[in-house]
Amino acid sequence: MKTRKATQVTLGPRTILIIDDDVDFVEATSVPLEKRGYHVVKAYDGREGLRLAKIAPPDLVIMDIMMGERTEGFFTVQEMRQTTELRSVPIFVVSSLYSRIEEFKVAPEREWLAHDEFFPKPVDTEKLLKSIDRRLSDDH
Amino acid sequence: MRESAGLEQIVVIDDDYAMRLSCLQALSKLGLHVETCEDGAKGLNSVARLKPDLVLVDLKMPGISGMEVISRIHEIDPIIVIIVITGYATIGTAVDAMKAGAYDFLPKPFKPDELRMIVGRSLQHRRLLLESRRLEMERELLKRRFITFVSHQLKTPLTAIHQYLDVLRNLGDTVEVRAKSNEWLDRCLKRTKEMREIVDDWLTLSRMEGGMLSRQRVKVDLKPIVLNVLKTYREMEEANDVTLVPQLPGDSCLVRGDHNCLSVLFDNLIANAIKYNKPGGQVTVSAEMGDGEVVIAVHDTGVGIPREHKDYLFDEFFRVRGQGHTATTGTGLGLPICKRIVRESGGTIEVESEVGVGSTFRVRLPAYNAQDTNENQKGDPGDFGAEDDIDH
Ligand SMILES: Nc1ncnc2c1ncn2[C@@H]1O[C@H](COP(=O)(O)OP(=O)(O)O)[C@@H](O)[C@H]1O
Ligand SMILES: [Mg+2]
Repeated sequence: MKTRKATQVTLGPRTILIIDDDVDFVEATSVPLEKRGYHVVKAYDGREGLRLAKIAPPDLVIMDIMMGERTEGFFTVQEMRQTTELRSVPIFVVSSLYSRIEEFKVAPEREWLAHDEFFPKPVDTEKLLKSIDRRLSDDH
Repeated sequence: MRESAGLEQIVVIDDDYAMRLSCLQALSKLGLHVETCEDGAKGLNSVARLKPDLVLVDLKMPGISGMEVISRIHEIDPIIVIIVITGYATIGTAVDAMKAGAYDFLPKPFKPDELRMIVGRSLQHRRLLLESRRLEMERELLKRRFITFVSHQLKTPLTAIHQYLDVLRNLGDTVEVRAKSNEWLDRCLKRTKEMREIVDDWLTLSRMEGGMLSRQRVKVDLKPIVLNVLKTYREMEEANDVTLVPQLPGDSCLVRGDHNCLSVLFDNLIANAIKYNKPGGQVTVSAEMGDGEVVIAVHDTGVGIPREHKDYLFDEFFRVRGQGHTATTGTGLGLPICKRIVRESGGTIEVESEVGVGSTFRVRLPAYNAQDTNENQKGDPGDFGAEDDIDH
């Protein structure tokens, strides 16, 4: 993809957008990401997240599926997938509603929740960092 | 299946044709739906199909015995009321049947009036059973929903705390951590407090469910209660920006109630008035004696409550979303607790509010009256037999 190539050439920091209405999660997660050298953009609801993503497409999105409105995250994912510039941005979904991945039965092929990875909350920081590193280096 | 709601159903199981016929005639006069069967097997079929309110069972029948029929009926539904018909009215068989779960017995021969009398009484009993089952189910449902909801509510702060700890551990002793750790520990403490509040509210609510707090009603003066709550909040930093103003009458405000409950009530109302206030705002608690009642108003100059939310304020877990509300933490259990306390104390609570201007929660409690030393206990429905309207 054209934009990706461009970032690769300039080698600027990769941008990660965190969308969660829980300020504490956003705060606690952004620090280790920044330390790792990522540029972190924060949004506290789905609409704001979408707005920011459209202005400057991030390299990866971390988002809670259940925010203020119970279905907010679901719709945000859906809408991102329908937006050309955001279609291929990896989305990592987090949720404290489900603690095991088997319980999280939303078939990605049904395009209802086309997320790339799922992390139960509280998120294992180390695992999350590894997954993000891996995902973002795939492009190189 | 019920043909129409309210029509009570009776199954008569007796091998004697004449007996079935006279039961049918006598009971149809009461406007009851009656089905008759000539043996236990057919009778049990009808019972399983109709789920009747009452079954009359002859104890001495060919085929399945009457005693067996009784226990099988209660396997189908334990609150179907059973009356046994005993051919030879030996007390012994009747007692055995009652032990096996029958509610009453009818010795043969009997007059239609006697039958109607016993059936009427038994149906009264059935209605009470139905009512208590309904309440039981309601409680059960609420409890189950409650547990799920409270668990989720606890999980949110717990997750946040865990997240901070995980990151602190993950980053180890680094510049970033040193810069953040105090702030993060404060956040953790704040969220721990949130969890404690949830548990406290939960305990208060469940303690009241058991009726423990509200049963004793004694002479209570509301004045020191209100003043004490105000004092507590004045000492807390949360109330720094809000002025707390008591407007209480010179003499005491006596009501009949439970001291602890009434403290919880005003604590919740005043806490809300502070929490949903604006910087520099005011909370006024006024009390006045009305006609046989004490009216206490907790008034604030806060964010107010949108009209469309007013009906839900007293529902468990309800919290208003929107300006001035979502920034605060809360359990959504405070007002439901208030409502219950007020109701148990024989009073009412109402709210007036205007968005951006403020809210007033007004509580009316029956004033203490030295004369009525015995509080009016509700009559005990104990004796079901007292009703005599079966001849209608
Ligand atoms: N004095 C008040 N002014 C404005 N809103 C209020 C007031 N009291 C209660 N509310 C609203 O009603 C909701 C329910 O109150 P409550 O049951 O005490 O729960 P909590 O305070 O834990 O949220 C609150 O979340 C708030 O939105
Ligand atoms: Mg409250």
